[in-house]
Amino acid sequence: MKHPFWQAVGILALAFVVIEWGIPLLPGSALVPASVVLQYMVTVLAGVLIYVSDDEARWRRFREPIQAALVQPRLKPVRLGGLVVVPLVVGWIAYGQVRSAVQAPPNLRSIHPAPPAEITFRGKSMTLSGLDNPLRQHADSLPVYIAAGKRIYYQNCLPCHGDRLDGLGHFAPGFNPLPANFQDNGTIAQLTESFVFWRVAKGGPGLPREGTPWNSAMPKWEDFLTEREIWEVVLFLYDQTGWKPRTWERTAGGTR
Amino acid sequence: MRAVGLSDSRTVGLLGAVVVALLSVSQTVRLSSQDTTRGKTVYVKWCAGCHGEDGKGDGPAAAYMLPRPRDFTGAVYQIRTTANGQLPTDADLMRSIDDGLFGTAMPGWKGRLSDAERRDVLAYLKTFSAFFADTTQRPVALAFGREPGSDARVGRQFYDSIGCRKCHGDQGRGDGPSAPTLKDDAGFPIFAADLAQSWRFNGGGDVAAIYRRLRTGLDGTPMPSFSDLIDQKFLTADELWHLAQYVRSLSPTRPPELRDVIHAPAARGALPAAPDDSAWNRVEPSWFPLVGQVIHKSRWFTPAIAGVWVQALHDGRALALRITWDDRSQSPDSAWRPFTQRVLASVAGDDSTPPAAALWPDQLIVQFPTKVPEGMERPYFLMGAATQPVYQWRWTSALRTSGRAVAGLARGIERFDSLPAGSAPAAQAVYDHGQWRLVLTRALATPDTADDLQFRTGRAIPVAFFGQDGSNGEFGTRMAVSTWYFLALDQPTPPRVFVTPVVAIAVTLGLGLVLVRRAQQRGTRA
Repeated sequence: MKHPFWQAVGILALAFVVIEWGIPLLPGSALVPASVVLQYMVTVLAGVLIYVSDDEARWRRFREPIQAALVQPRLKPVRLGGLVVVPLVVGWIAYGQVRSAVQAPPNLRSIHPAPPAEITFRGKSMTLSGLDNPLRQHADSLPVYIAAGKRIYYQNCLPCHGDRLDGLGHFAPGFNPLPANFQDNGTIAQLTESFVFWRVAKGGPGLPREGTPWNSAMPKWEDFLTEREIWEVVLFLYDQTGWKPRTWERTAGGTR
Repeated sequence: MRAVGLSDSRTVGLLGAVVVALLSVSQTVRLSSQDTTRGKTVYVKWCAGCHGEDGKGDGPAAAYMLPRPRDFTGAVYQIRTTANGQLPTDADLMRSIDDGLFGTAMPGWKGRLSDAERRDVLAYLKTFSAFFADTTQRPVALAFGREPGSDARVGRQFYDSIGCRKCHGDQGRGDGPSAPTLKDDAGFPIFAADLAQSWRFNGGGDVAAIYRRLRTGLDGTPMPSFSDLIDQKFLTADELWHLAQYVRSLSPTRPPELRDVIHAPAARGALPAAPDDSAWNRVEPSWFPLVGQVIHKSRWFTPAIAGVWVQALHDGRALALRITWDDRSQSPDSAWRPFTQRVLASVAGDDSTPPAAALWPDQLIVQFPTKVPEGMERPYFLMGAATQPVYQWRWTSALRTSGRAVAGLARGIERFDSLPAGSAPAAQAVYDHGQWRLVLTRALATPDTADDLQFRTGRAIPVAFFGQDGSNGEFGTRMAVSTWYFLALDQPTPPRVFVTPVVAIAVTLGLGLVLVRRAQQRGTRA
C-alpha cells in the first residue's frame, strides 16, 4: 500500500470507520449525525488532496490509477461500472432529500424556564425570589425532615424519577420529556430550592409556554402535598444526590 | 412462612438450617455487624425505600407496587439457577442486583453503584435471613446443558401437555382459566406472565433464561419447577429446551422500538373495517408503552396494559386505525371479580378506603386535538383542559355489539362531553385469547368542523392512547396512559418528486461521459 492513491482510499475508509462506529463507542458519546459525518469526510478528503498534491511526483502517481481507469481499454468494465453506479448513488441521495416523509415536529423546550416572581400556593401568596427552604433554619431537625422527605419521595415520585433519582423510574419510558434526572449536574444542582419548590408545586400545567406544559407529566403536587411536605422532599433531593442548592446573592437584592 | 409451597425433603433441609442458624445466632449477629457496615450504609440509602429498613419488603414505596418488593427475611427468590426451594447462589443475587428485574420497578444497579458497593449490599441483604447463615451448605447451580436445535413444534406439544396453558392461556397471553385465581406466597394477586412480551420477563427473555425458569421455577409464585418431570422421564431436557424455544417464539424477535410517528399508508382498495382483515398484515405496527395514571387523583400505580400496537390506513376519504393490546380478561367477567378485589385491596392510592370491586368493562381511548396544530403547541396530553379540550374516541367492551365507539370532547380527565352519534367512529372489535383487536373508522372530514378533528394528509397529527382493564380494578381515573405521539396520513408520492433525482442522475452521467471522453482524447494525442 505504498501507492498514494490507495493510501488516500485507505485513509478515507479508516476515517469513515472511526467516525461512524468508533466515536459512538467513546464513553459519554452518541451516534454522529449523517450531516456531521459528511462534514468530517469532506475535511478528511481536503486534507488528503493537499497531501497528495503537495509533491509533483506524488501527484502524478496519485492520478495514474484514475487516468488509467478513464482511458485504458483493459479497464473498460471499471469505467462503465463507475458511470452507472455513481449517477445512481447521486440519484438515490437526491431522492432521499426530496421525498416527503412526515416527521414529528421539533420539540423545542426550555428546560429551566424563568420562574414567576410570585406564586399562589393553596390560596397563600409566596414570593419566590430570595426565598430559602424554611426548614434549613432548624438544623437540629434536618434529619427528621429528610427522613420525611424520603418517605414522600418513595410514595409519590419513585415511579417516574426512580430510586436512583436519575429520572429512570419504571414509568419513565411512557413519558416525553423524560422525567428530570436529579443526579445530572444540569438539574437541581443549577437551581435554587425555591425554583424546585415552584416546579414541584405547580408541575407541568404550571409551566410557561416555552416549557411545553402540554407534554409534561409532572403532577401539580399542590393538590397532593402540603407546603412543608414539598420543602421536605426538596431537602431529600439535595441530601440524597449530594448536590448543594444555588443560593441567593443577598447583596444584589436577590437575583439568581 | 418459609415452608409454604415446599416439598418435604426441602423442609427438612431448611429446618436443619434453622437449627444451625439458631445455635450460632449470637455469633452471626456479631459477625454481620462487623462485616456488613458498608453494605448497610448502601442498603439504607438506596434499597430501604422499597425493601424496608428491616428487609421485609415493606418500605414506604412497597404498597404502591405489584409485585411487591422482595422480602429478604424469607430468603425466597424467584430468579435463581438453583433447584426449586433452594437458596440462590451469590451470582444469582448479583445478577438481579446488576440487571434488575425486567417488567418490575427493580432497576439494574450496575453502573449506578460501584462493584464494591454492590458486593457489600449483597452481603448485607443476606444477613436478613438466617437461612444464609449456614455456610456449610453452599447453594449449587443446576447443570443446564446446552440448547439443542430449535423445534418449537415439539415445545408446543409440551406446552399443552404439562399444563402451561392453564395459567398462561392457549396463546400464552396470561389469560388461562386459572389466571384469575393466582396469588403469590404472601397472598398478593399475581398475573401469569404474558408470554408474548418476553422483554418484560423478570429474569430475562432469551431462550436460556426461559429454560432456567422452567427448571428452577419462580419460588414464591405459582410458577413451579419442571425439573421433576425430567427426573420422572416424562420429558427430556431437550424437550424442555424446545418448550423454552416455543415460549420465546411467542414474542417479537426484538423488544419493540418506540417511534414517534404512526404512518398511515394510502390503502389500495377498500379500507379494512374488520379487525382480522388480512390487509392489516401488510401494515407495519407501532408500539406505544402505556404507564399508570399517576398525575391526577385518584392515581393508579399498577396498570395491567403494558402498551398498544397501532396500525393505520387511509384512502383519502376515511381513516382506519387498528389498535391491538394484550388484556388477560374480557371484562366484565365475574370470574375475575375476586382478583379485582384483591388488587384494589393491595395497592395504595389516594382514597382512604379502597373502592369495592365492580364488574367494570375494558376501555380504550384514542385522543387527538380538536384541530391539527399549526405550531408545536397542543392541548394538555392528559385529556386536555377546560379551556382547551381534546377530541377523543372512547370504546368500551360494553359497546362491543353496537358497532360504534363514542366521540366526544374531554376537558380534563374528569369531564367528557359526548358528541352526537353522527360524529362517532365505526368500531369493530374481537377478543381473542387474551388480546383485543379493535378497528376504528371515520371519514377524514365531518360536518361538525368545530368539534370533530378534520384529518388532513401529509401532516403530523398529535395522538395519544389510554387503556383500562376493568378486571384489574381500572375505572374512572385509574387507567394506563401515554404521552402525545403523531399520526401521519401519507400522501402517494407525486410524480414531481422523481424529477430531481432523474435530473441529478442525468447531470452526473453527462459529466462522467465528458470526463472520460476528454481523458481519452488527451490519451490519444499524447
